[in-house]
Amino acid sequence: MKKLSLLLSLGLLTGCTSVIQTADRIERGLTPPDAVNYVTTRPDGGYTPQITDNRFGNKIELLAARKSKTDGGYTQVKWDLRNGSYLGQTANISFEWLAADGSVSERQDNWITTPLEPGAITTVTATALKPSSAECRLRIISR
Amino acid sequence: MNKIFLFACAALIVGCDTPASYKDPNGRELVVSLEKVNIQDFATAGSLMLQSMVNSPAFSKGAPVLQLGMITNDTANNFDTSLLLSKITNPLVNAGRVTLLDSDSIATAARSASGISSTNVPHAEYVLKGKILEDRANAGSTRQSSYVFQLSLVEVKRGVSVWQEEKIVTKQGSKNSIGF
Repeated sequence: MKKLSLLLSLGLLTGCTSVIQTADRIERGLTPPDAVNYVTTRPDGGYTPQITDNRFGNKIELLAARKSKTDGGYTQVKWDLRNGSYLGQTANISFEWLAADGSVSERQDNWITTPLEPGAITTVTATALKPSSAECRLRIISR
Repeated sequence: MNKIFLFACAALIVGCDTPASYKDPNGRELVVSLEKVNIQDFATAGSLMLQSMVNSPAFSKGAPVLQLGMITNDTANNFDTSLLLSKITNPLVNAGRVTLLDSDSIATAARSASGISSTNVPHAEYVLKGKILEDRANAGSTRQSSYVFQLSLVEVKRGVSVWQEEKIVTKQGSKNSIGF
């Protein structure tokens, strides 16, 4: 009996990571599909977040959105993201660029899969292709 | 009771296959294959390469004249490398960020026939070339495939590389799946 409980404990210890990951998968399976979250830069230098998936929003923090101009005069935004959870997260990221009148001037249609290690800060850079693109809208979903 | 059991079995058998349906080619429900480069892998590598390339000094002013060079497919899969290049050149051309040379034979013939001098045709300032490689590994039943996308921009005048980038797309699992 003692041997059996020892073996079981050992099995649980080695399988810890997969137990947590399985729990994470179950949580995702039981909740609605991951929704798209947005963060849009503003002309005053700030940014406006629009978080629709709080489960993801609680794990990933947006530390900064640094807007600048390239040598050619195109808008560039550097987004600093931090995984504040104890588990590795996968963020899927894409961008839209808005003209001064608010219309979409260009967009990156596909999602870029960005793995985020626990506690790690990742900088994602978006550079506009058109001079009319003034503000950047970051689109982000998990998995 | 037997009838209900038979009905349930029939329903289960019918429900085994997923009927074909249309998906957003940029969406999150695409097939992820371990043994080949998927359409979304080209999009990922292309987008990352594009973002890196527009930050190179060659793109700091004006619209450089670009000639497409050779993209070598050094993987075991057969695919058209324009799947990668179009992800880079389409946004650049449409935004007016490059002048892309296209030595189309019909256009060349039409130009000659109409007596237009070829001195009007711009000369290439840069050549975009690259290579796509693959690396595979496995541990037990877990397989891993990495596809390495390498591109470089060569300045024609000086014959030097002014921008180089490498992006790696790695996929791991025991079988193909859907979605990310």
